[in-house]
Amino acid sequence: MFKKIILATTGSPASFGAARVAFDMAKRYGSEVTIFHVLGVPTKAFSHVVNDVRTGEEVEVDADYLAWVEEELKTTYAKQFAGAENAKIVLATGMPPREILREARSQDADLIVMGASSGDSAKYQRGYPGSTLQKVAKAARCPVLTVHRESASYWGGFSNILFGTDFSKQATSAFKFALNTARELDCDLTIFHALDISGKVLDQDQIEEQLIVARKRIRATYVPQMGDFKNFDIEVWEGAPYVEIVKLAREKQVDLIVMAHHAHELDAEKAKIGSTVEQVIVRANCPVVSVSKPDKV
Amino acid sequence: MPEGILCNKTPIKTDEQLKLVLSDSRGTKYYAEMLELEVDSDALWALIQKTMKSRTKTWFEICAHCGLCANSCFLYQVNGRIPQQVPSYKIQSTLGEIVKKKGKVTNEFMRHCMDVAWSQCTCCNRCGMYCPHGIDMGVMFGYLRGLLYSQGFVPWELKIGSGMHRVYRAQMDVTTEDWVETCEWMAEETEEEWPGLEIPVDKQNADIMYTCNAREPKHYPEDVAEAAILFHVAGENWTVPSEGWEQTSLSMFAGDWECCKDNVQNVYDAIERLNPKRATGTECGHAHRATVIEGPYWTGRPDGLPPVPYIHYVEWLAEALRTGKLKIDPAKRIKEPVTLQDSCNYVRNQGLKDVTREIISYIVEPGYFVEMSPTKEHNYCCGGGGGFNGIGMYREQRNVALRTKMDQILDTGCKLVIAPCHNCWDAIRDLEEEYEIGIRWSFLKPLIIGMLDVPEHMLPKDEE
Amino acid sequence: MYDFLTGPMLWLTFAVSFGGLLVRIVLYIKGLNQQLDRVAYRAHMGYGLKGAFNSIISFLNPVGARLWRIRPGFALMFFVFHIGIVITPIFLIAHNVMLQENLGFSLPALPTCVADILTWAAVVAGLLLTLRRVAFPEVRILTTGYDYLMMVITLAPFVTGLLARYGVGDYQFWLTAHIITGEIWLLSLPFTKLSHVVLFFMSRAQLGMDYGIKRGGMKGSSMSW
Repeated sequence: MFKKIILATTGSPASFGAARVAFDMAKRYGSEVTIFHVLGVPTKAFSHVVNDVRTGEEVEVDADYLAWVEEELKTTYAKQFAGAENAKIVLATGMPPREILREARSQDADLIVMGASSGDSAKYQRGYPGSTLQKVAKAARCPVLTVHRESASYWGGFSNILFGTDFSKQATSAFKFALNTARELDCDLTIFHALDISGKVLDQDQIEEQLIVARKRIRATYVPQMGDFKNFDIEVWEGAPYVEIVKLAREKQVDLIVMAHHAHELDAEKAKIGSTVEQVIVRANCPVVSVSKPDKV
Repeated sequence: MPEGILCNKTPIKTDEQLKLVLSDSRGTKYYAEMLELEVDSDALWALIQKTMKSRTKTWFEICAHCGLCANSCFLYQVNGRIPQQVPSYKIQSTLGEIVKKKGKVTNEFMRHCMDVAWSQCTCCNRCGMYCPHGIDMGVMFGYLRGLLYSQGFVPWELKIGSGMHRVYRAQMDVTTEDWVETCEWMAEETEEEWPGLEIPVDKQNADIMYTCNAREPKHYPEDVAEAAILFHVAGENWTVPSEGWEQTSLSMFAGDWECCKDNVQNVYDAIERLNPKRATGTECGHAHRATVIEGPYWTGRPDGLPPVPYIHYVEWLAEALRTGKLKIDPAKRIKEPVTLQDSCNYVRNQGLKDVTREIISYIVEPGYFVEMSPTKEHNYCCGGGGGFNGIGMYREQRNVALRTKMDQILDTGCKLVIAPCHNCWDAIRDLEEEYEIGIRWSFLKPLIIGMLDVPEHMLPKDEE
Repeated sequence: MYDFLTGPMLWLTFAVSFGGLLVRIVLYIKGLNQQLDRVAYRAHMGYGLKGAFNSIISFLNPVGARLWRIRPGFALMFFVFHIGIVITPIFLIAHNVMLQENLGFSLPALPTCVADILTWAAVVAGLLLTLRRVAFPEVRILTTGYDYLMMVITLAPFVTGLLARYGVGDYQFWLTAHIITGEIWLLSLPFTKLSHVVLFFMSRAQLGMDYGIKRGGMKGSSMSW
């Protein structure tokens, strides 16, 4: 299920964690890894001059420059490259999120791996609201695995998966992905729902009633789908969802969090990746996979 | 060495040659070869005799040397009002001299003409409005560019640009397959939020056919998706052609008239093939100028009109808003000072000054729209028109040229600039990058999508 | 001498001058080309003529074109100069007496003092326009000896006319000089930059048609010059 992985990277330290996870997966699960690097945003004419994504400086994309960037990336990931047989480098010019999506589509990738904050060149974001991650997560057909904190990348393989659900349509896809991954890699799966009480003062009876409803709903929705898969348990409690998810993950030593990503808000700036996922990504001590489409789960 | 390998009088006609010229970083070798390029005076003079008729001859003859054009030219104003930037001087000291000398000019002189034609004039045509004799020096510079191109004296980027148009019939290496694939991709990506949305390719007898700028499929396919969303919400029976979808013309900036003709004919062929009632293009100025305003003449249409009514995107948008096909939620209208950049290519060159303001009246809360000064057909060029944006060698001059627009924008006090033209949009982006005055800029499509009052049945159904 | 200059020579002058200008008009129109100019003159004559009319009228009206409104000083010089040199010769009483004697009809004549004022004003405006050529760098760079020659040819009949009118020195001499310079002026019209007396209308009309047909006129958008 992780045959083709695209590692979207800037080659900057912010992406090291993501790279570690991607290469580790490649070695463990025999995946093909494409190190995908967007050189920069074209500034004029036919894209031969770009604003380098890291430095913001204008550079001419010619054979020399391309060779140099490739060499740089190889040096950066020298250690990882050593063990990975199916790794290749692909360079592109354009808006990073768009080009990542384009590459994923053309390869029919199974997973996109990216660092959460890769030093977006702020200038070029202004015309196009929203961060690279938000845009990729929103539109990608395949799940997007994000490694924000360096510490989230030291697990090595997946054995304990936490699936956080809000019962949305997208959560159905996210669940399938979590279940399939758990099955394939023989992991434990925790299905969790946090009743959102942040900013509300609710009667305790009411809270408890709702917790029971949610638990029932999990049983009705997800359990029938699991068939003979038994390594799961269900947790439901109240709180601010992102805090609870991160807490539970830490407590259970979870090494992969799976959540749905959905945004009905059309204005990408206001749609904060369903802010829960975004908050979890920033805080979690393990990789977080967000799923928004049913295609590649 | 009369003809170089990269720099010569032959247009780029093959992908191989295109890649070869493109691989010459910053055109270093290309420009070095240009130093040796021979001027074929006989051919130049023959071309002038064949193509310079009473209009241009008279313009040269009756110019009263009054200098009134000086102030009309933003490049004169922004370059310290040096007399060498007076439009009349610029054209007389270049084209005028070539004509006077019957084409017997030196390589050095031709290179000087190239510098003037591409870095001291954006062909914005403003001077023509301020000449008592009606002498349009923008038109003359367009003509001069054609002469220079025929002799191989053309900036590297534009040689490649027109080469792209010759090889790919698009300003970038986007093939028919790439384009159709992009349409499918965008439809797929968008239909989730807009159930039922389609990007119909090659649909016969549609009400309207849409053409765009190759940069959209190449780098900003969202723009295609946005167009699709607005057509979808408006309930428009529309289509895009698989061939003949590219509306722009770097060849027009280069003065490669043969290529201009070929590309426009390609779009017109799509119209003949698909038989739409009307056609429209993206929010681009020069593309509209090339395909709709000048194109009919390049292709030799006797009525000077495209095969079917071919409106600018702003006209379609104004119509859709006027007739209620698109509805704006009044609560979402722009409630901050906002100004509008009038594009030379469809405002001064096709008078579309009122439709854009009509759109403004629907999308901006009354009292928040601030006109630039001067405005409408008197507005200044964005600073990057006529190919200026794209030529590396003249980047510095271009950056100076941006100051006019910067001052105009600063004078409005607005932080938001609506720029329904690719070239203007780019120039304003570069302006912000260069001078950091803290502005935002936008095409109309994303703004309008953000404030649509979408009918209930078009919203995605929540399956919760 | 006087008889020759005001007889056969004058007729010849008129014939060459007006005939020449007519030829210039015809040649101009014949040299227009739909494809090269990129204006469909024939197909949309109605729109074209409307645009041409708008274009000409805007620049004949001292407050019509934006150019004139933002440059009032220049506009004043320009109009005083042109009105003076066009109106005075046609409606001057002395010229009309000649017309009456030779052809048996005359045009309404200007009162002498008005003619005087117009002439003086034109001469002064002409001198100021010349001064501009020296004073402003953006005009100086364009100016050639030819421009000065044109001004001399144009102003000569007016200056000599004034000298004759006020009887400075030898009246006969100035009168003859006036007639000769006047004829030189008229003869220059078709052959020099002064051909703009008709080509102004042609060129303005052409650009007006361009705007009236291609550049917005057919979209119902009238050009605000």
